[in-house]
Amino acid sequence: MKLRDVVAGANASMYHRLDFQKIRGVYYPRSEAEVVEAIEQARAKGYEITPKGGGSGLSGACTGGNRDRFIVSTLQMKELLTISKDQGYVDVQPGATPDEINEVLEPMGMKLYVSPSSRDIATLGGLLATDGGGNDTWANGTMRDNTVRVKMVLYDGRRLIVDWEGVRSDDAELALELNKKDMTIHDVASAHGTLGFVTELRVTIRPLVEEHLMGAIAVYEDFDALGSALDRMIKSETPIRYGEAIVEAHKDVRDDLTPPILILEFPEKEKASIAETTDFEEVDSGELERLKDIRIKLPKRNPNEGVQAALFEGYGFFEDSLRGMQSRMEAINGLLIEDGFEPFAKYGHGPSKWYLGDNTPAFGLIMHSREIRPTDKTGKELFETVLKIVDLCDDMGITPKPEHKWPFSDKAKKTRIEELRTIIGEGFNAFIFEPECASETLSSMV
Amino acid sequence: MMDIKTVRKEHSINYIPLLLLTRIPLRISARLMSEIDRCVRCGSCLQFCPLFNVTGEEQFSPRGKLYLLQVMDLIENDEELGRDFRRLLFQCTMCGRCKDVCSSDVDLLKIWHEQRAKAVGAAPFEFEYLDSLRDSLANVYNIYGLDPDDRAIYWLDEVEDEIPNIHDRVYTNGKTAEIMVFLGCLMSFRSSQLDVVKSFLKALEIVDADYLVMGAEEFCCGHPLHLTGDESGADNLRKHNRSVIEAAGAKKVITGCPGCLIQLRKYHNFESAVAMHHTEFFDHLLEVMPATKRTETFAYHDPCELGRILDVKEEPRSVLNKLGVKYREMDLSCCGGGGLLRMTDPNLSDKIIQLKRATERLSETTVVTACPSCREVFLSNEIQTVDIVELMAEAFEGGGG
Ligand SMILES: Cc1cc2nc3c(=O)[nH]c(=O)nc-3n(C[C@H](O)[C@H](O)[C@H](O)COP(=O)(O)OP(=O)(O)OC[C@H]3O[C@@H](n4cnc5c(N)ncnc54)[C@H](O)[C@@H]3O)c2cc1C
Ligand code: SF4
Ligand code: SF4
Repeated sequence: MKLRDVVAGANASMYHRLDFQKIRGVYYPRSEAEVVEAIEQARAKGYEITPKGGGSGLSGACTGGNRDRFIVSTLQMKELLTISKDQGYVDVQPGATPDEINEVLEPMGMKLYVSPSSRDIATLGGLLATDGGGNDTWANGTMRDNTVRVKMVLYDGRRLIVDWEGVRSDDAELALELNKKDMTIHDVASAHGTLGFVTELRVTIRPLVEEHLMGAIAVYEDFDALGSALDRMIKSETPIRYGEAIVEAHKDVRDDLTPPILILEFPEKEKASIAETTDFEEVDSGELERLKDIRIKLPKRNPNEGVQAALFEGYGFFEDSLRGMQSRMEAINGLLIEDGFEPFAKYGHGPSKWYLGDNTPAFGLIMHSREIRPTDKTGKELFETVLKIVDLCDDMGITPKPEHKWPFSDKAKKTRIEELRTIIGEGFNAFIFEPECASETLSSMV
Repeated sequence: MMDIKTVRKEHSINYIPLLLLTRIPLRISARLMSEIDRCVRCGSCLQFCPLFNVTGEEQFSPRGKLYLLQVMDLIENDEELGRDFRRLLFQCTMCGRCKDVCSSDVDLLKIWHEQRAKAVGAAPFEFEYLDSLRDSLANVYNIYGLDPDDRAIYWLDEVEDEIPNIHDRVYTNGKTAEIMVFLGCLMSFRSSQLDVVKSFLKALEIVDADYLVMGAEEFCCGHPLHLTGDESGADNLRKHNRSVIEAAGAKKVITGCPGCLIQLRKYHNFESAVAMHHTEFFDHLLEVMPATKRTETFAYHDPCELGRILDVKEEPRSVLNKLGVKYREMDLSCCGGGGLLRMTDPNLSDKIIQLKRATERLSETTVVTACPSCREVFLSNEIQTVDIVELMAEAFEGGGG
């Protein structure tokens, strides 16, 4: 064992206590050729491949579970290969983050409009693999909506180019088979690195809009009021540019705020139309920045006593579950408290958009949640609570966003990926397909 | 891996405790664990770490090292990992950028300090390369192993022409003054620092300061030992400095070295003397300063220990503004010279400054800074540099360019 290998387990999920003996090597390729080489080495030794980006994912998928594997990191694949201002795209290696790309684009008056709170560390490869989004997803779509095409390397070294039309490959037979299955970007999105290694992405860029936006805060009496306001916004196709909810927050981290609240930004001329969907109070730019700062730091801060845990993220409230948030929140908190967790912070993007496993878009609130970690629970016990939450969400019509929820409890997505893997090989992140959504492995890693 | 019983049989008795000891630093106290557990492994600190930036590998990053501590119970029996981890702790510039950017309020610098102390304490034989430094500090009280009487010799003659009474300014028993100048080892012994020393002292003369220089009575401030976690060794040095400074009745101790300032301000525990950086002293003293005649645009490098660790950010900039010096801000990243990295891994230190040189186009500009250690790094990489106090003394004398 080498430190270099052990440390590859570092990731933001609570699944981080790995069997390090099983990490057989860690690679930091700089080019597609080096990725191919790493994969070849793995294949020769019978190891799997786990692609890793910034390690900010919360599902644990970038760990590769506990199987004999190479971890192939994209932390050194950050090159911007082509910038086409006219045609509105950039070709980029998968390890670049939205912040890094925008640092280059913004002086040119262009921008990649994908803004997860983790945009300083989440890589484009990781964002596509989890179909990430952010506070502007409502206006600009998820990562898949901003992806034009990807280049991928498969476990047997063959290469693919996947776009919205289908698949191209030097191996015509492979392309034919995959096209028969209508494989597109939809499949690569949210695949959690199970199909192949993305070595290059073409993503949409658009002019930087110098729009005068005003900031506002909307404070709600209860969760139903918040959910209903979001529901009205969605129905009216609200023209907000930024929408973030602080659903609830521990006193140590909420300052003077009284959640549930929405932090909003929209063009001044839309004030009246927004007012039809929610009451709000205008805030100046300084106050807006303060509110945004409180929100963006919630996933990282800790209570004065104890530490937070990312037990389960990405509750997708939409339609009935959005309008009826109060009872559902009570049920979630009831479960958490019964299992010894003190709710710490719930927050998220809203109104927002995500895709269900069958690729239909859903619109609502993506709520993330952090709890104060009980000191007397084993990893297995913590994981049992995760499973209970998954069941509760299923019962209550809350559709966890695939980016965060343990991915393949979404049966439609799982079945689809398994089908594609029979054609393109099964050497990537296979632990995800272990029985019961890899519960055995995951619970050993908490 | 051999178990301890087998080792006992196979090796001489001397060797056994060392093997046992190698495992000690890997155990982490509950108090420290709760600090380490505050790290949510979000990864936001990666891009700010100079070591990560030059290596591109996670083990050098703050998250990587904290993660290793978080899972230490799973790997603590692996001696090779233990050794590598101890080495890793010294592949860090202790620049504090990670602590600064961490929204989870993890006190990373404190963790690095404590872990360094543990590492050296538990496996001293792995740090033999630090022995000569420790010996020098214990025997001759400076980092160079030079005769302590030479502290004031190197620069005295050079300064004499311009400050004829400089010999009277050197502290000897019984002399008193309002200000004690603490030059530090670098400025006392390195010819590359001579211009800064001259400017510093000239500036004090011009403002008619009542000052003394510690001369041979100055011992190292203890910072290098502090960086290796050897607080008791550092304390021996501090005690001496404190007694001299207090005997001289100094109300202020002024230094141009941020590392010394950390020690003087935080660990010397003076009864009444206040430790200041020269930029603080001159900025507080003078509302206006004569304008520089320099017309070029400099690049200001905020020394990590001054700006970040001691939070002295305003005064250096205020002095530059009062002098009318044009400057652009540099990225707040370390020059590669901190944390003893130039001693523990010069190769990595070089890579850091070379990357900075390229990304901040330093070959085209003169870097203005306020730290002798940063100065050494810049000079050894053929980057032109001046200390703020040089620009100030020049302007006071009506010159500069
Ligand atoms: C503080 C914080 C805030 C967050 N906020 C948001 C948010 O606002 N919105 C949001 O959507 N998410 C958010 N996340 C979650 C996380 O940032 C996203 O899931 C992100 O997409 C993960 O990207 P990554 O580069 O870190 O990928 P990793 O975590 O390294 O990997 C995630 C998955 O992508 C796969 N993968 C990575 N690179 C490749 C590649 N080149 N080819 C194939 N597969 C690959 C991995 O195998 C893994 O399955 C947040 C996380 C944190 C810690
Ligand atoms: S920024 Fe803080 S919480 Fe995040 S990985 Fe770094 S040390 Fe950990
Ligand atoms: S102190 Fe500086 S060099 Fe050390 S880990 Fe933190 S950021 Fe990196």
